[in-house]
This record gives sequence, C-alpha cells and structure tokens, in this order.
Amino acid sequence: MRSRAAPWSLLGLAVLLALPWLLPQLLPQGQAQFWTASILGRAIVFGIIAMSLTFLATYGGFVSLAQMMIAGIAGYTLAIFVEGAVPRVVGLLGYGAAIPLALLAATAMGILMGAISLRSRDIYLLMITLALGMGVFRFIETNIAWFNGYEGIRNVVGPSLFGLDFRNALVFYHAALGTAALLYFGILYLVKTPFGLVLQGIRDNPRRVAALGYAVGLHRIAAFGVAGFIAGCGGVLSTIYNIGISPGSIGLGATVNILIMSVIGGLGHPIGAFIGSLIFTVLDTFAATIYDRDRFNTLIGLAFLAIVLVSPDGAIGVGARLRRLLTAQPRPASRVCGEVRSRPPSTRTAKEEPP
Amino acid sequence: MTEPAIRLQAVSRRFGALQAVRDVTLDVMPGERRAVLGPNGAGKTTLFNTICGDYPPTGGSIALFGTDITGLRPHQRTRLGIGRTYQTSLLFNGLTVLENLFIAVRGLRPGRFSFLRPGRGDEGVARARELADRMRLSHLLAAEVLNLSHGQRRQLEVGMALAGDPRVLMLDEPAAGLSPGDRPELLRLLRELPRSLTLILIEHDMDIALSATDVVSVMKDGVVVVEAPADRIEDHPVVQSIYLGSGH
Repeated sequence: MRSRAAPWSLLGLAVLLALPWLLPQLLPQGQAQFWTASILGRAIVFGIIAMSLTFLATYGGFVSLAQMMIAGIAGYTLAIFVEGAVPRVVGLLGYGAAIPLALLAATAMGILMGAISLRSRDIYLLMITLALGMGVFRFIETNIAWFNGYEGIRNVVGPSLFGLDFRNALVFYHAALGTAALLYFGILYLVKTPFGLVLQGIRDNPRRVAALGYAVGLHRIAAFGVAGFIAGCGGVLSTIYNIGISPGSIGLGATVNILIMSVIGGLGHPIGAFIGSLIFTVLDTFAATIYDRDRFNTLIGLAFLAIVLVSPDGAIGVGARLRRLLTAQPRPASRVCGEVRSRPPSTRTAKEEPP
Repeated sequence: MTEPAIRLQAVSRRFGALQAVRDVTLDVMPGERRAVLGPNGAGKTTLFNTICGDYPPTGGSIALFGTDITGLRPHQRTRLGIGRTYQTSLLFNGLTVLENLFIAVRGLRPGRFSFLRPGRGDEGVARARELADRMRLSHLLAAEVLNLSHGQRRQLEVGMALAGDPRVLMLDEPAAGLSPGDRPELLRLLRELPRSLTLILIEHDMDIALSATDVVSVMKDGVVVVEAPADRIEDHPVVQSIYLGSGH
C-alpha cells in the first residue's frame, strides 16, 4: 500500500534546509541567526512534541495531555545519566548512550500512559493524562535526590556531531530539522502499514476492530508507545536547546502550550503540529514588540480564537479551504493501496447513519 | 456425535432491571442456516451480541464447536471462527474499501501488528481484492467508505465478515434499509455462501429470511418461543399470534 509522499512536504523540507543560507540574504546577519536559532529551531523542537499529540489525535482519536511530561522524562533521563550535567546525579554515560536511554524511558512512559488510560476516551482520557502529567510534574518538582527539585539539572550541552559542536546554531538547527523530518515521514509511512490502518480503524470504530480479531487494547498501548518515542525525541532536543531542564518545562503551562500548538496548526495532519508551533513561537517571541510582554496570553488566546472560528481544522484547514476555492475541487486526490483515491462530494456526514 | 456449531445453554442477559434475553437454550448444527425472527425488542440483537462477546452473558453458557467461549472477549471469539455484521453498518469511514477489507483480512492472519507496509504481492491485499470482486465492489476499491451508498456499505459489511473465513457467520439484518432493487443481490450473496458455513441470520424481510435459511427460531420478550423448519414457520399459530395478533 503506497501513499504519495506529499511533494509539498519535500519542497518545504528543501526550503527549510536551505533557510540558514537564504535568511542572511534577506535579513541583517544578527537577525538571520536569531530567526534560525530562536524561532525556527525552537519551533521545530516543540513541533516534534506537538506532533506526538497530533499523531495520537489524528490517527487514533486519542487526545493526550501527557506528551509534554513524557518529553520531560526523556529530558530528565538524559540530564541524570549524561556526564557533565550539574548537579551530577548519575553522570556516567556519554551522549551516545544517554540519548538512546532517554528515548527508551520516554517510550516506556508512553506505553505506561497507554496502559493506565486504556479504558478511557474523549474528555475522560484528557483528564486522566492531564492528572498523570501533573502528578509526575509535582513529584519531580519536590524530589531533590534524582531531579534536583525546583532548580532542575543544568549544563546539558549536547554532543558533537562529526566533530561539529551541538551548541553551534546551524548544527543544532539541522540536527533538529533532520530529526523532525525523519519522524514526520516515518509517521506518513506508518499510517499505511497494517498497524497504522488498524489504529485508524480503532479511531473510526473500535468495536468493529475487535470483531475482526484484533486486540484493541494492545494496539492502543503500542500507539501510545510510538507517540512516547516521538515526544522523547522532542524532549531530548529541547533539553539540549535549553542547556538543561527544570520542572517548569513540563508544568501545566507547558502542557497547555503543546495542546494550543496542535490545535492552532490543526489536528488533521502531522504537519499541523509544526505550523502551530511556528505561529506560537513567533507570537511568544514578538509579544512584547506587538503589544506587551505581559499580554502574551491575550495575544495567543486571540490567535487561537480567530483560527478556531475561521477554520475549526486549524491553520492547515485554512490552506485546504483556500486550495479548494482556487481549484474549485472538493478534495485533492491521493494514492492509497496502489489506487488513485478519489473523494466525490459527500452528501453524508460521518455521524449520519442510514436507517 | 457431531458437536453443534453454536450451543447456548440457559443464556441470559440483563441490563439493570431489563431482562433482554432470558434462559435461551439453542443448538445450531454445522452447516445449518438459521434465521432468528421476532418483533422489535424481542432480544435478537442482544442474543447476537452475547454470542459474539460484545455483551457477556449474565447467566448460562455458550460453546463454539464444543469449546466453551462464555468468558472470552470478542476478538478471541473471532479468532475461534465467528464472523459477524451489525444492524447498522460499523465500517471505517475514513479509510477506503480496499483498506477496510485489508484490515478485515489481516485480523486473523500473521502480521496484524506489522510496522511494514504490505508489498505488491502481499497475500492479504490479494485476498482483499478477491473479496471486493465477490461482493461486486471491485470498481470502488479506492473509494472512501464514507461515500458509499447504503447498499454498498451492507455488501462491504458482509465482505468484511467473510474475510477471516469464519466457521459461523452471523448477519444482523443485512437487508435493513436496502432498496427493493438491492435485495436480490443480497439474496444471491447469501445463496452463494459455501454450504459448510454455518449461518445465523436476523432479518425482518421474510422473503429473504425464509429463502436463505432452513430453520427458524422466533423470539419474543427475550425468549425463544418457536423453533421450526423455514417452510412451516408462517403457518405456526404462535408466529401468527405474534405478528398478526391473537384474533387470527
């Protein structure tokens, strides 16, 4: 079963790869570097964490508020085990061993979240994952021996990539972009595998999936594991970006920010997470310039309201609407299962069942 | 002695104060075609859901070819050979016809948890295409299920139930909502089913129910009140009393 690897995604990736060299042609040197490191780099890192939420919501129908906490588990695992971090907790491993360990911890935490929330859906799933996330946050905030309490762990500077320092903005940007691209195209591949198709079946009709011989619970737990791995990648990058991690980075505010990014971008496709993250990061960075730093929440709230009112599908929904208007076509065609997939104008909504 | 395909012994299902199915005892032999009839609210669909595991029974036992399945979960019962359709189509609306059939085929084969895409020569995809052909849906392989007509959705339902080569096929009102033009096609599908397959059918369309089955069980108020050959059921006084009233 094949899907057309969206040419727009590949074009976008090519532009993003070249951007650090294009920006200095358009902006003064200092501003170009600021945009590369502080806007785009940061947006990509948080976009990865938001994409873990989008993956679960889009293809499984599960909205989890534990993804930021899971990213934090990866960050803390890295900070605890890597040598050079301050204060030293274990500090015995190099980055080559500590990063896989961090991803393993995040995947395990994702699986645990999936197992705990196995029987809940909708608002109940939202509340259970939020409660678990806040429980872990409070534990970390008050535990000194392992997590250094409120202050967190500093000096997680990142590895050297082929002799290139991770602290170099260009190196970090391309490492983050490469990770994001691998995860993004990995998700597009995964959703057309038997596992991905069954996950979408669970979204549409879990009862029918069980009647076809599948253990719905196992698939669901595995999906949370995959999402945990994705969030873990974001968590590792975010810890290196911030040169450390503290409980504030996985608190309620950070958790809600990830949800806002996902909704602003759109929960219909993984690319929405990155678009939402970019909009969020730009508003967050320039709030003081636009209006007042203390009014950031008002600005992001207004942006959130505007996008939800104009397009309930988020920013990607706006794009799809414009494209349909311009081409006067109901939906674009895509290739699935080796066949051209067409969507004729629908006269029936998803909830409507014939008698 | 041949074990019954399905054996129900004093099966009951209660929802709070409502006794939906009451002490149903029933044997369906391998290869038998059995219709379950009765007025709305008689407990037919609840009985189906109890046999398939959607609602565990609150009393009694269920055996499939001699194996007790009373405590098993729905996917475990499916793996032992039960295939079913639902009263209202339960399909994967966001996926295509081929993807729906492919999921149905993979459910009982190795690789249902695979993280690799099936290749061109994949046996599961080939089987899904074959089923689409059998259900007269091969021209709609790439169509999203949301956009199918009601008749096509019912055909797909039956195709998905057959995908796992079940030993017992349970169809819950397959003709519900079908136009008169679609009904002969459904009857053809039912008649083409292999004779080795045990069929249990809930149906309000008497022509379809009696043409496609050999034995009929009639339910009322959660109880099986009549069991008779299909060609003699219409004349049965209890059946006439249920459908036409006690004055007849």
